[in-house]
Amino acid sequence: MSGTTSADRPTQGNAASNADTLEVAPGAARAQIEGWAPELATPDELRAALDQAFDYRGDVTITRKDGTKIEGFVFDRRKGASLEQSFVKLMPKDSDEKLAIAYADIAALAFTGRDTAAGKSWEAWVRKYWEKRAAGEKGFGLQPDSLE
Amino acid sequence: MGVPVSQMWTVASYVIGHKIKGRKRYPLVLMLEPLFRCNLACAGCGKIQYPAHVLKKNLSPEECFRAVEECGAPMVSIPGGEPLMHPQIDKIVEGLVARKKYIYLCTNALLLKEKIALFKPSKYLTFSVHVDGQREHHDFSVCREGGFDQALEGVKEAVKRGFRVTTNTTLFDGADPNSVRAFFDEMMEIGVEGMMLSPGYSYDKAPDQQHFLGRARTRRLFSAILSNRKANWVFNQSPLFLEFLMGKRTYACTPWGMPTYNIFGWQKPCYLLQDGYAETFAELMEATEWQNYGTESGNPKCANCMVHSGYEASAVNDTFGSLSGFIGTVRATFSNRYEDATALETLREPVRPVHGFVPMEQIQNAASHHATSQQETRA
Repeated sequence: MSGTTSADRPTQGNAASNADTLEVAPGAARAQIEGWAPELATPDELRAALDQAFDYRGDVTITRKDGTKIEGFVFDRRKGASLEQSFVKLMPKDSDEKLAIAYADIAALAFTGRDTAAGKSWEAWVRKYWEKRAAGEKGFGLQPDSLE
Repeated sequence: MGVPVSQMWTVASYVIGHKIKGRKRYPLVLMLEPLFRCNLACAGCGKIQYPAHVLKKNLSPEECFRAVEECGAPMVSIPGGEPLMHPQIDKIVEGLVARKKYIYLCTNALLLKEKIALFKPSKYLTFSVHVDGQREHHDFSVCREGGFDQALEGVKEAVKRGFRVTTNTTLFDGADPNSVRAFFDEMMEIGVEGMMLSPGYSYDKAPDQQHFLGRARTRRLFSAILSNRKANWVFNQSPLFLEFLMGKRTYACTPWGMPTYNIFGWQKPCYLLQDGYAETFAELMEATEWQNYGTESGNPKCANCMVHSGYEASAVNDTFGSLSGFIGTVRATFSNRYEDATALETLREPVRPVHGFVPMEQIQNAASHHATSQQETRA
């Protein structure tokens, strides 16, 4: 399974010269990675997976090498010269503290939380809007997710 | 005049002070996000895509005050999420007013009428109400039918009670310039102090990635909207920034101009991009690799950006940093009609969005279809 990509974005080299001629923003493509547990056999796989965890719009579960598990939202990653010097920072699901975990301490990663934006497309809203208006309904709209 | 003289004086003396000290990078507006929770679910918003435990968190008033003091900017914008959902928003505002910060409380105004008694009018406090255009356009844009009417009730109540009120409007691909101009007339008639405008930004984390203006289209749209201005339109923005949107000026991004603080810390590098967080404001300013951001950097995530959070600080810096910028600002302040026959012609052309979607046309078609169906049913 592949993860988040920016396939539709222009390449770095062309972006500056093309930016002023852009008619619409290219946007980013996102693959479905909810439920995914990537292979972390090599340092490169670990780094790539943690980049995806940083881009992910839901919680992940990290299993440390001592066997402890922590579930939370990854909001930062600091890339150092080695795995010992690289960290992810996350806000655990069940506490207010912010934790930093060294890449070197991570044994497994899983995208266990719901992708909070998946399936909420503009097109879905447009369909709903026309259906409701055609039916003469009032006060309809997209509702924020429940916090429970 | 969109911005009161006392506020202009505060900002001018602050910017000139930094220039005299030879500081290259300094913040102009702190973007303080005390929560990510919102009572709307706009498809184009990239600020609310978090799990519930994150959405439930709030910055405390003390955390807000520490950030404001650490940053030192003379203006504080409070977006979110919806700041009126914060249980202590009145205490946050009160503390910032006591610190003589010019506050723009950015709200969708769904709760404004209900919560307005929590606040006292002050020259330091402005309700900056998110309204994306005329009724149908706004409701469509924020994915909530009836949202416009609720927001307008809040705006009218705040104006009646003597608060400073501005509107802030985000425009997307498919925006109808004639409708936007009619919207300006409506807002000025209601009595808002001024209006703010910005093109939308295609947030990486937003569900909708398809309806955001590129730079070429942004300039054409804003030129059509802001040329041939009516004399009574007032904008609460740098006039040079508006000229930038119209394609009359070019600026490099100033990503440090409007730094962002929220429950994760100081967001790197700017209000729109999330490339990690610094623990202190000093770390943000010193450790961020600024050369990697801004359209001119070639960073693809910056390619479509012409947003105020990156470019209005550039315009303000131009006003106080060069004679041509200062003269341009004076000229734009006192002679702001921008007569332009080509822009006038653009207003007569049909709206042609790249994705073939024109909200008003579709809405009108849907309404006529509904009316026809009803007539057929009755017949």
